Amino acid sequence: MKGYNFAYLDEQTKRMIRRAILKAVAIPGHQIPFASREMPLPYGWGTGGIQVTSAIIGPDDVLKVIDQGADDTTNAVSIRGFFGRVAGVRTTTHTAEASVIQTRHRIPETLLRPDQILVYQVPQPEPLYKLEPSRAATRRRHALAEYGEMHVRLYEDITRFGRVATAYDHPVMVNQRYLMSPSPIPAFDNPKMHRMPALQLFGAGREKRIYAVPPYTDVRSLDFEDHPFHPGRAPHCCELCGSTTSYLDEIIIDDKGGKMFACSDTDYCESNRSDAA
Amino acid sequence: MNLLEARHLNKQFGRVTALDDVSIGLRRHEILAIVGESGSGKTTLLNTLAGNITTDSGAVYYDRGEGLSPISALGELGLRRLQRAQWGFIQQDPRRALRLNVTAGGNIGERLMAGGAQHYGNIREVAAQWLAAVEIDPSRIDDYPKHFSGGMMQRLQIAATLVTEPELVFMDEPTGGLDVSVQARILDLIRSLVKRLGLAVVLVTHDIGVARLLADRLVVMRRGQIVETGLTDQVLDDPHHEYTQLLVSSVLPT
Repeated sequence: MKGYNFAYLDEQTKRMIRRAILKAVAIPGHQIPFASREMPLPYGWGTGGIQVTSAIIGPDDVLKVIDQGADDTTNAVSIRGFFGRVAGVRTTTHTAEASVIQTRHRIPETLLRPDQILVYQVPQPEPLYKLEPSRAATRRRHALAEYGEMHVRLYEDITRFGRVATAYDHPVMVNQRYLMSPSPIPAFDNPKMHRMPALQLFGAGREKRIYAVPPYTDVRSLDFEDHPFHPGRAPHCCELCGSTTSYLDEIIIDDKGGKMFACSDTDYCESNRSDAA
Repeated sequence: MNLLEARHLNKQFGRVTALDDVSIGLRRHEILAIVGESGSGKTTLLNTLAGNITTDSGAVYYDRGEGLSPISALGELGLRRLQRAQWGFIQQDPRRALRLNVTAGGNIGERLMAGGAQHYGNIREVAAQWLAAVEIDPSRIDDYPKHFSGGMMQRLQIAATLVTEPELVFMDEPTGGLDVSVQARILDLIRSLVKRLGLAVVLVTHDIGVARLLADRLVVMRRGQIVETGLTDQVLDDPHHEYTQLLVSSVLPT
């Protein structure tokens, strides 16, 4: 597109972001500060993810963008359209066809390959944020690997509710060293991060942090030996494709209390249906 | 053989001299009380010994089983490991040490979990045992400290500190701010736990009675200097320095 550099950001900025990404990959799970730019959409809509995607995307890449697993929601459609215009790259809704997948709140059901990159949009990169408001203090905790507090939180959950009550953004330990927020993906998706063949990059635009999980890295969800991590899933099957293993959305379908369960990953659901047909 | 040793500590806060060439030693299983009036530098000394603040000159040495070595050589990580497992620190105000919106069990479990404990059932069991040890009904394990009385909170802090079975505990006026009957109970508890666990304790107090009850040895401080030191009974029954004499004679008759 005329008047814009390839993929919107100028080359200097992309270089700065790539340097942050390289550092992030070198220290799995460690948050790297970067000079986040103003983007043509508000904070909280994926500015971090867009900047990471912009820095890594090339003319031959094929981009897929999902929002809560769906390819057809506002955020996903707009970001896909954005890169289609400013980078002229091919876009797709099929997980297997994409080389770069930008995501909000989900990991695709289809297993990812080593030649794919998953870019997460992260609202809050600091897993200790709710326990310790000071960034100086949380950085020190990370440096000293002092994560006892997080276990205290899990202890409290089990004591009060009989189980860990966080259904999303369940903290993970990366490479046995850094405590990391997996971004608000459902706990159901946490096990997919463990030893994933694809590179996982996390961009937090408002908080100005980038972090990463390199391929085949250990990612363990925090838990207790006698209360193992439990990836939650609604006990139903998808009413569209009949899947019993995918993560489900509960959808209200009328104003009389009617509802249905359907796959949150729309591409996975569609391909299931076309396979069956 | 000393467990903890301070050599020639100096600390200046602006124009105020908080520590003036202070040297002391603490043996294993020994209770050392630091007494003196407000502003005499005793809390500064305690915080220095515990590694919470650094001095202008001088150093603190600690024996981790292989002879005395300066704690500054441990680095921040080594010091923190020491502080959260082998050492303990009991604050005057338990509200500063405890998490008030975390249950009693969670408060006691924190040090265990920081040390890597990952079995919920075991953590709970140990927490219940410690509640019983500090005379809190174990059925209150899921209650919040904010619903505890001041004395119970202080006992909870003691349990939460001793749960890792440290060998050295620093106490900053552990019975300050509590009423007299509660004080007596806490002192009793501290005395029996210290005996049972064989702890070494550095205790800061301005209450001569507390020092007499708990301490083996006494250090008297004034204006950042140690003016007198010796066995507790010796110092209190036959004070040599005029300031110690004043301190001892200013205790209310009981």
